[in-house]
Amino acid sequence: MTPRIRVALLALAGVVLLPGAAAVITGLPPFGATIAQYGERINAITPEARHVANMVSAINFDLRGLDTLGEEFMLLAAITGTVVLLRGRRGEGNTERALRRPGRAVIPRSEAVVLVCRIAGPLTALFGLYVVVHATVTPGGGFQGGVILASGTLIIYLGEGYAGWRDAVRSHWLDGLEGGGALLFTLCGLAPMLTGAAFMQNILPLGTFRDLMSGGLMLVENLGVALAVAGGFTQLFLEFMEETREADELDEPGEESA
Amino acid sequence: MSAILPLLFLLTALSGTAVVLVRDPTRQVFVIAVNGLVLTILFDALQAPDVALSELAVGSAAVPLLYLVALMAVRNQLPGKES
Amino acid sequence: MSVVSNILPYAVAVWLFGAGLYGIATSRNLIHLVGCLGVCQSATYVLLLGLGYRWGSIAPIFYDHPPGTPAVDPVMQALVLTDIVVGATLTALLLVLTIQVYKRSGSLDPEKLRPMRARQGSDRAEGSDRGHDGKRTVL
Repeated sequence: MTPRIRVALLALAGVVLLPGAAAVITGLPPFGATIAQYGERINAITPEARHVANMVSAINFDLRGLDTLGEEFMLLAAITGTVVLLRGRRGEGNTERALRRPGRAVIPRSEAVVLVCRIAGPLTALFGLYVVVHATVTPGGGFQGGVILASGTLIIYLGEGYAGWRDAVRSHWLDGLEGGGALLFTLCGLAPMLTGAAFMQNILPLGTFRDLMSGGLMLVENLGVALAVAGGFTQLFLEFMEETREADELDEPGEESA
Repeated sequence: MSAILPLLFLLTALSGTAVVLVRDPTRQVFVIAVNGLVLTILFDALQAPDVALSELAVGSAAVPLLYLVALMAVRNQLPGKES
Repeated sequence: MSVVSNILPYAVAVWLFGAGLYGIATSRNLIHLVGCLGVCQSATYVLLLGLGYRWGSIAPIFYDHPPGTPAVDPVMQALVLTDIVVGATLTALLLVLTIQVYKRSGSLDPEKLRPMRARQGSDRAEGSDRGHDGKRTVL
């Protein structure tokens, strides 16, 4: 399919779909007028019913916890797919040698960078933990805090170099974190059923409103999500970084395509 | 009614178009990071701080890094065959 | 003017989606294509959060404000929140696929790619592994 035909088909699709899009846009409620009834009800009853202040966390971990379980496993599946695709060709070993491009000078790390990374790394990790733990009282939660924690491990790479980073960040721990987080979330769903309650029903004591330890089962699920997201993203970074390392023996030149 | 929100929406449209129009992948990475930042500000103005935190961490730390490392891996894989 | 501000978020979402589609259709580089897919994703975020907004409302966090203050829709924010994180992971998976495509065919240009044909031997017999212990991961 030549580019011209492709763009022509796209233009045709646009011409056909634009009246539909225009009809939908004018049919929607005007921007900022009202919100949906479901959202109104949640805002009205959840602070009383679950003793939490963050409605978004309550929806993610309690009211629509099943959807988050699905998202969690989507994350796990995508990361597993990445790992399988990359390691399947490369094997499971890791190399210590950095990549050298011919003709480019290798610049040693400046001390200012190392110092700043050593200061910023623990601070970022602490901030990530703060965001994770305050899921039910301030904006935050497992998803956000997990990504912040994963980007904190990157600061180790910036400061210490590849060998130092691989020493600090082990692949097996990351597998355990990722899988363990997903397992924890699933157990939070199944464990209430052992006591006769519904799947993922909030059976732990709910705590007091605006307190750090409020929300009951939400906190455990939040922890599971944080572990899975942090482990998963760091695993992604690790696999991608491994991809750029020098091979022990050269790969075969790519099989010729058809 | 404020004037900030329509301005931010227009800025979002602009930065999204810029991501599409910059064709060189190494330059597009920076435009993607800027797009993430603009989206973060928009989400904050729409009273969604959780979403803004998430978009900031992902769109300016995680995703540009993945692009950069993918570009590194592609560039160094088969040095004889440049596309 | 108020008509424009009534529909502006939805129009911006449609525009972003269309621009992303145009980028995907006319891309000459697979990594650029994945970036345009990200623009399509951001169009859905803008649409969802635009639907959930109400003038003069606070964020749905009742820590500083008493419960009962008008707040924006938290359901939309919950949808977009998980969507952003999972979308980043899927971007990583797509980038891995482009790396594999580059390894096999030597080109990142969608125009130069051809459908794969069945080969005589199996691929795994010819590939090499870098593991120190010589183990292979079997797919």
